[in-house]
Amino acid sequence: MDLVLLLAEIFTVASAVIVAFHPNILYASVFLLFAFCGVAVMFLFAGADFLAGAQIIIYVGGVTILILFAIMLTQWLYKIKLVDIRNKMLLPGVLALGIGFFLYRALHQMALSLPKLTPEALDKFTATPKTALMGQALLGSYLLPFEAITILLLGALVGAVWLARPE
Amino acid sequence: MNHLLSFSSSLQGYLAVGAILFALGIFCVLTRKNAIGILLGIELILNAAGINFVAFSKFRTGLIDGQIVALFIMLIAAAEAAVALAVILRFYRLKQTIDADEASILRN
Repeated sequence: MDLVLLLAEIFTVASAVIVAFHPNILYASVFLLFAFCGVAVMFLFAGADFLAGAQIIIYVGGVTILILFAIMLTQWLYKIKLVDIRNKMLLPGVLALGIGFFLYRALHQMALSLPKLTPEALDKFTATPKTALMGQALLGSYLLPFEAITILLLGALVGAVWLARPE
Repeated sequence: MNHLLSFSSSLQGYLAVGAILFALGIFCVLTRKNAIGILLGIELILNAAGINFVAFSKFRTGLIDGQIVALFIMLIAAAEAAVALAVILRFYRLKQTIDADEASILRN
């Protein structure tokens, strides 16, 4: 089982590398889809079954398809490859490496300061189905953020339709 | 090999993947000139944040609060993608390009 998780992580990182480096935006967005699938498998192994399903539905089925639609609608991109991103990669590369390293160190330090779970508790957490628990939490202690996010989604939907309206 | 397997299934493995995805997202945002390319980088960054929340939720707290925050991140990313793509399409109609360097109307 650990081997599957390791392969999923390698797959995710490799897809993300292609997303960041591929000069053609169309291929980059297709590999973003693969990276999202890898992250969904990682969620599954972290005991987040509901989140893994939501990741597939929202990201793979929604966001990536939306991005592909936008690329198709502005389709001159097929021909023009973004070769200009090769010009200045040193400073962003150093900056990104620094931020990633700092993030890992900081979160690692934080993880060390928090108490560990026992292996039995970990197995129990992974084995518990989360859908009912998350539903109860969303309509219980997280009711206010839940309502706020519904208003945000409605506003985003109306705003997007208004922005993309025909003349 | 065993070492690598135990690392990948530990909290540190998740944190490493999250940090790598975050760094790649930052790199993508900074280097790409295409507005949709920048959007791809932002999605990577948001996903990295979600991975970290889920990892801490499993390995340290044992509660589902981290997963709920990750769900909110996911929904915000969806709303952000919809609005950003509407803006990009509008911009394309205005300028016939989606090069982010051309978006300097407000700069005057």
